[in-house]
Amino acid sequence: MAHVSVPMYWRTIPQRYRLVGLKCKKCGSVNFPPKGVCKYCNASSEFEEIKLSGRGKVHTFVLISAGGAPPEFADQEKAGGQYPVAIVQLEEGPKVIGQIADADPKEVKMDMPVTTELRKIYTEEGVIRYGFKFVPERK
Amino acid sequence: MKKVAIVGAGQSRYGEFPDKGIKELFHEAYSDMTKSVDKNFDPKAIEAAYIGNLGSGGFQLGNMSALVSEYVGLPHILTMRIENACASGGYALVAAIMDVLSGTHKVALAGGVEKMTDVSGTKQKYWLGVSGDTEYERLAGTTFAGLYALIAHRHMYEFGTKREQLSMVAVKNHKNGAQNPKAQFQREITLEQAVKGPIVAYPLNLFDCCSTTDGASAVMVCDAEIAKQYTDTPIYVGGFGTSSDYLAIHDRVNTTTLEGTRKASERAYAMAGLSAKDIQAAEVHDCFTIAELLAYEDLGFCNKGEAGKFIEEGHTQIGGDKPVNASGGLKSKGHPIGSTGTGQAYEMFNQLRGTVQKPARQVKGAEIGLIHNVGGSGGTVSVTIMRR
Amino acid sequence: MSLVTIGISGYGVYVPRLRIKKEDYAKAWGSFSAAGVGEKSVMGFDEDVLTAAAKVSRRALESVPTTPNSVTRFAIASTSPPYLEKLLSGTVMVSVGMPNYALSSDHITSTRAGTEAMLAGFEHVTANPKGVALVAAADAPLASMWDSIEHALGAGAAAFVLSNENLIAELEGHASYASEYFGERFKSRNETLVHDLNVKKFSESSLIKNATSAGTALLNKLGRKPEEYNHVVIQQPDARVPATIGARMQFTDLQLAAGMTAKVLGDLGAASTPVSLAAVLDVAKVGDKIMVISYGSGAGSDALSFKVVSDRKSTIRFQAEADRKEYIDYVKYLKLKGAIL
Repeated sequence: MAHVSVPMYWRTIPQRYRLVGLKCKKCGSVNFPPKGVCKYCNASSEFEEIKLSGRGKVHTFVLISAGGAPPEFADQEKAGGQYPVAIVQLEEGPKVIGQIADADPKEVKMDMPVTTELRKIYTEEGVIRYGFKFVPERK
Repeated sequence: MKKVAIVGAGQSRYGEFPDKGIKELFHEAYSDMTKSVDKNFDPKAIEAAYIGNLGSGGFQLGNMSALVSEYVGLPHILTMRIENACASGGYALVAAIMDVLSGTHKVALAGGVEKMTDVSGTKQKYWLGVSGDTEYERLAGTTFAGLYALIAHRHMYEFGTKREQLSMVAVKNHKNGAQNPKAQFQREITLEQAVKGPIVAYPLNLFDCCSTTDGASAVMVCDAEIAKQYTDTPIYVGGFGTSSDYLAIHDRVNTTTLEGTRKASERAYAMAGLSAKDIQAAEVHDCFTIAELLAYEDLGFCNKGEAGKFIEEGHTQIGGDKPVNASGGLKSKGHPIGSTGTGQAYEMFNQLRGTVQKPARQVKGAEIGLIHNVGGSGGTVSVTIMRR
Repeated sequence: MSLVTIGISGYGVYVPRLRIKKEDYAKAWGSFSAAGVGEKSVMGFDEDVLTAAAKVSRRALESVPTTPNSVTRFAIASTSPPYLEKLLSGTVMVSVGMPNYALSSDHITSTRAGTEAMLAGFEHVTANPKGVALVAAADAPLASMWDSIEHALGAGAAAFVLSNENLIAELEGHASYASEYFGERFKSRNETLVHDLNVKKFSESSLIKNATSAGTALLNKLGRKPEEYNHVVIQQPDARVPATIGARMQFTDLQLAAGMTAKVLGDLGAASTPVSLAAVLDVAKVGDKIMVISYGSGAGSDALSFKVVSDRKSTIRFQAEADRKEYIDYVKYLKLKGAIL
């Protein structure tokens, strides 16, 4: 079982529920997930918070079968079958990894447009951890 | 450089051993190492021990370096556990080299040990899955198979790398491992078997993934000036280089490059006054088949995107112009996390001295070798160049 | 008494993509017990009432359009919340971006919870002229696989933005009726699965008593006749109950037609009348009158009367949601539902 403590998970709620990123005041780049020092200019710790739209394109993806699923996702794979995980190029600049939900794995393609929505990630210590997952963009 | 030498190296068998824990495994490797020192071995000469270890299922998180050192008769020396995920062993070697280079000690042991098969499958997957970015990569539902599959898929998309080319790595390494009595798996596989393996994390299948393994290794590093005390044929450290990288793959500029490997090898080549074309044998970190293809590119053996062609053309077979993983690599030999890096040094020590156990695996006339050890999905990388 | 005109200024609906047909049930059990239900919707493994509520809340706000930080009152309704004690509103409010200082309430103990929440929202905007209420009803009730009550249970969500400006439909009035009945559709404190003692005639009498009392009281309050309503939405534990109530109140099948979501989605619990209302709003015309009658076991009913004043519709229509589907078989259905049982 993964072990991410309750406070540790709670601290990431701005990112997981609201996609809050950090825009560097020096170079203007958006760090998401946040960094202490801007990873683009490596020079500044001054940021303004910016809410990302969640829109992006699939940069690469994997289809996880039972053998590749961490224990906390084993039930998801058993009940729902293979699930896609993608690194998505967000429109504001950063890339981030996330599961693709609400999609037939066969339909997932490179460069596919996606958006985010709130989903259940997993449960640990009886506490449900919610967070963003990607879904195919609705036309 | 020729300031640091390696005068002995040992390795335990790699595999699954219910009757051996980390102490027993380390002892097996240590004994093997002492026997490999040609003359005058004296345990009292060892002043430091750097032991690579991820955590062995969590039973001895603190002070394990003291535990295994005293178990093999080295009770009152500098001991340090070195942890950089799967690169722990490679960094333990670097630590020992830097120790001797700095003049602090004359003889240092670099070793590694991992016990992976004691714990349940669930617990094992926990231990294996927390060296990437835990908060996002793990909680997106991936283990390392998934992360390397993301890299493999992008590599296939950008460069046209083929399913068969990935499998060629597995076939080659199993062929080599079949000639390695210490390997976990000593069985050849066919290309068809490798291509048709059950999917673990598409596009990677079972035969693209290394296994979980128990094992240990130990290498005796010393000041080059006293090397001839121990052997007439010491191996020298030509140079070394390390680099870290962004832990999460999504934070990296390029999904299909391990920047850690690129920078670590650049630094190693610079220190050694050599370049990629001088390397005559290499042990690289093939935790997954794609990882070996990336290594060809990021170590400079071939151009970016051309690794598939490189293996297909046969360059990296034993007998080719750039033999890679004559030991069988992680794929066939096994991957006891803390031990892998120093296990690569053990193999290269024997390759460069012509003392590989089975002649079929001997790279003939190799004088300059490179070992490459990657932590996790590339968060840490160490490269060491060894030479006669 | 304030005569401020209040009503619905935006709405959104969500139906999970996965569906199962009654034929697949019949293959497993020999028969299918949900009258009039042809197929129903199923929550995916990684969804629940809160993720669905967050989704429809966003859609409702987008349909006005207004921003989450304009909300002053939030109410969530469900009979299948993921926690029996833990503020449900918090998850949705923070996810959508509503202000922490908004008044919030969780409504959970019967399938009447959806209209309960709506009325709470309407009370707020009546008392607060600048108020904006967001009400989300999301449900995916669970019962034992062995229980015939399980056959009808589906999944869905709808949300409404309530205010006194920019209205799509005005609230003309409401009436409620609550009483004591038991043994029908209940789960006690330590149970996760709803069940029913199947005292059929008795249960039906509760449904009829509560629903017709609330509905008739509203008609009288407003001085209306049943035929004056263009659309009537009635609680749908299956697709036959509305006709049972309708017959007693002289509502016709034609009036009921646009709101008959149970035929394709099953029993949506506390989200039944909200989702059906959203389906009706999608097709209603300016000037249309809509009657909504909910029912929750144990027992009580709310009746609400609306007048459509704008042809503005939600951004994602009910029909588009209903048409967006992927069928699963009974084994996969069991795996998805069994994961929670």
